[in-house]
Amino acid sequence: MTTWINLSLLRKLVQLSAFIFFVYGGLITGYYLEDKISGALPALSCAYDFQGSDLCTLIPIQHQMDHRLGEVIAKGGNLMMGIMPTLITLGTFLLFFVVLNKAFCGWVCPVGTFQEVMQLIGQKLGLQRHESLSKKLVIRLRPVKWFMLLVLVFGLPLLTGIGMLNHDMGDPFCRICPSRILTTLATGETSQLTVDTANTTTLVLSVLGDFLFGLMIALALTVRQPFCRICPMLALHAVFRKLGLLRLIKSATPRCDRCGLCAKACPMDIHEIHTDMQHPNVTFEDCTLCGRCVEFCPDKDVLQLKYTFIPIFSSSPQYFKQRKKSQTQWERKNLISWFKQARSKTEAKAQ
Amino acid sequence: MQRQLFRSFIAACLLPLPAMAVDTDGPETKPIEQPSHDHRGAKQIALENGEGATITLWKPDLTTQTLILEHGGITIPKTGIDNYHVVVAEKDWGNQKEAVIRYEYMFGRPSKQSPSKLTTVEKTDFEIVPDPIPREHYRYHSMQTWGFLVRLHGKPIPNLELILQTTNGSQQTAISDRNGRVEFQIPDDFPNIVAGERDKRSAQLTISSRYRKGDIAYQTQLNADYRVNPTHWQSSQLGLWVVGVGMLAGGYLGRTRKIKEKRT
Repeated sequence: MTTWINLSLLRKLVQLSAFIFFVYGGLITGYYLEDKISGALPALSCAYDFQGSDLCTLIPIQHQMDHRLGEVIAKGGNLMMGIMPTLITLGTFLLFFVVLNKAFCGWVCPVGTFQEVMQLIGQKLGLQRHESLSKKLVIRLRPVKWFMLLVLVFGLPLLTGIGMLNHDMGDPFCRICPSRILTTLATGETSQLTVDTANTTTLVLSVLGDFLFGLMIALALTVRQPFCRICPMLALHAVFRKLGLLRLIKSATPRCDRCGLCAKACPMDIHEIHTDMQHPNVTFEDCTLCGRCVEFCPDKDVLQLKYTFIPIFSSSPQYFKQRKKSQTQWERKNLISWFKQARSKTEAKAQ
Repeated sequence: MQRQLFRSFIAACLLPLPAMAVDTDGPETKPIEQPSHDHRGAKQIALENGEGATITLWKPDLTTQTLILEHGGITIPKTGIDNYHVVVAEKDWGNQKEAVIRYEYMFGRPSKQSPSKLTTVEKTDFEIVPDPIPREHYRYHSMQTWGFLVRLHGKPIPNLELILQTTNGSQQTAISDRNGRVEFQIPDDFPNIVAGERDKRSAQLTISSRYRKGDIAYQTQLNADYRVNPTHWQSSQLGLWVVGVGMLAGGYLGRTRKIKEKRT
């Protein structure tokens, strides 16, 4: 392995390609591509993106809660008819999800990619912190994604369908989702970056959505993957993660408990990667299968990305050495270090 | 069934076209009130002067079904398939052919078909085709610019005049380019708009054209609904401000965390 070729670089290339495909794919392969792929993608690809090539699964789920299940409950129809569309959507979601598992978050999602780009910018500006979020804060944040999934994706749209809430609460997650603003802005469309004064609900949701988008941009400069931590898609992935063919596998050694490099490398700050000694499958609920923990594990075959039973990437001391070296070199190059170098050169010349 | 007020098929009789009036014998429509709220059900379109017209429903998979004019109206049956359907009404007078097309979104199970199949296929001799047709979460709104193609037997016709008219009284003309494409900016012509208040009104737009080839004179119309542009109650400027506040909050949070960490 040469210094600069590594799994992270490969992942960034895949992320970039996925971003182009899902945000601009309609331009390249035909305007109505999204109607042909899944309509239930396990990543935040937005339907408001006129040029996009697929729809995130959370969109149909919200609509089905509102217009199908909610209506059936309200009118007293056949409950199975109300649930069936959601089951079909989840079935389609699973067909894709099983192939890559939670790697849809770490390798495909346009919002995840954007946050990593912001992180890169932050790091190059000298803003990026090296430390992870505190364990306490990480644990406190974890339930938020479940709240987002259960309340915003299932609960409120269902109550809207039943008739207990006004129609504008039919797709509350979409209205605050950063992907809606991000992907439309990426295509030059500003219609989603608005404050909607139609009524109190639209006003609150649009302000919340815009605020969250701004917050995500600024936080992503200094914190790794801030939105991913509360994303309902991560929670939906967590429900089905045992079914995915791609997994993060750990063969714990006594050294694991002390080293902790894997947890430090994890962009989602999953400390359990190094503390868990019981379970071989360490694809935790917050894991995005980015593979950084495997890259930064110094012990041979302790951490592995396995596709079914086939190891596709394993930790090794040689890889770790090279990877750490390249990471150090990469992090050393930023605006602050450039200024320092320039200043010391000027001072040296002056002397 | 969702309340639908489809005003016209051949709207020429509702909307006088001084430059290119369609025969008064042509079909004409009026709205039909539909009290049901089942948006997945059948849809009704009122059609006047439609006697003798051949009416065809094109489904997303390009299968067709003949519709019958009954009591001055057409019922688009519940097809159970999601996505755009097209209703084409044609009248053949021998040396004159008239056609009116309307793209109608129907709800049902996913069709797994691209609407481009419907826009690409030749549905009548002389037709105006949305290019592109509004996709998921989009509709025709006032102030927006949308493209249309004009084709005869599937081939684009350059340098042809097309007229856009609305039931709010606006009229525009445009000449097709060498690819047979025109763009219209849909007029912002709804009366009495109140800034900051949501306006759910819709109106009808009609794009029409005529063309003569040999002994045959062709006339065609594309009808669609358009709505008040949401920018009347949505502010991008305010949105940008809120994003800015969010960024400041994010910057503040990041900074305070850094200071806390330095202290510890």
